Amino acid sequence: MPPHTTSLDMTTDGKRQMQNRPFGFGNPWLQLTLSVACVLVSEFLLKRGATEVANTDSAWSWTGLNGLASPLVWWAILLIIASFISWLYVLRYIPITIAFPLSRVVDILVPLGCWIFLGELISALRWCGIALVVIGLALVAKPIAQIEERL
Amino acid sequence: MSFLAFFFIVVSLVSFVAAQLILKRAMVASTTTGFRNARFVWKVTAGIILMTISFFLTLGLLQRFDLSYLYPFQGLSVIFITLTAAVVLKEKLNLRLTIGALLISVGIVLVSLS
Repeated sequence: MPPHTTSLDMTTDGKRQMQNRPFGFGNPWLQLTLSVACVLVSEFLLKRGATEVANTDSAWSWTGLNGLASPLVWWAILLIIASFISWLYVLRYIPITIAFPLSRVVDILVPLGCWIFLGELISALRWCGIALVVIGLALVAKPIAQIEERL
Repeated sequence: MSFLAFFFIVVSLVSFVAAQLILKRAMVASTTTGFRNARFVWKVTAGIILMTISFFLTLGLLQRFDLSYLYPFQGLSVIFITLTAAVVLKEKLNLRLTIGALLISVGIVLVSLS
């Protein structure tokens, strides 16, 4: 923190920035949620699609281009484009040091999704990992109003 | 893991991190210069190209390895992006954010190892 700013200034400035952000569908936090939801679904589609057309004998398959033969991969690409547009919007308003760690909530939503919807078991170690991510997310998310973006 | 696999994982990660930083710069600049600006278009294009490279390399890797095996490397992107954004973009980084990003990274690694 520069010597001329106090923590009070940072809080005020943070609040002012929040007030300047659009509301409703244009709310960057809503867009961040939409972006995460699209990524979540696309991860499942990509894995299924890539496995469906896997041909690891071909050297070209390192490029992943043969994955395009699967329709599931194309659906995933559509979702990725949608999440990308939301993400660009998020980047306009939220510092990437906050937005990116928060966006990785998807990394625990994937195993949780497998647990809830597919009935897969989650090991003790995996629960520990999920707990660490949740604590990390809470640490990143809590001081949002106090952090100003300096670019 | 072969050297080639490690190489592609690193290239995929680096291009992803670089893309995020370039896109962030472009979007922040767009708030003052607007979207019809040559520099903005150039940066977004560069970001999209890097994201595309990272995407197809990941797709290639997914055909060889389980998603759970590749996840630890994706987890590392959290701490990489947080640190490089602080250095390159001069975003403010406090202890709380650093520890938060570190816990998320370690958590993702644990989730995929188990």
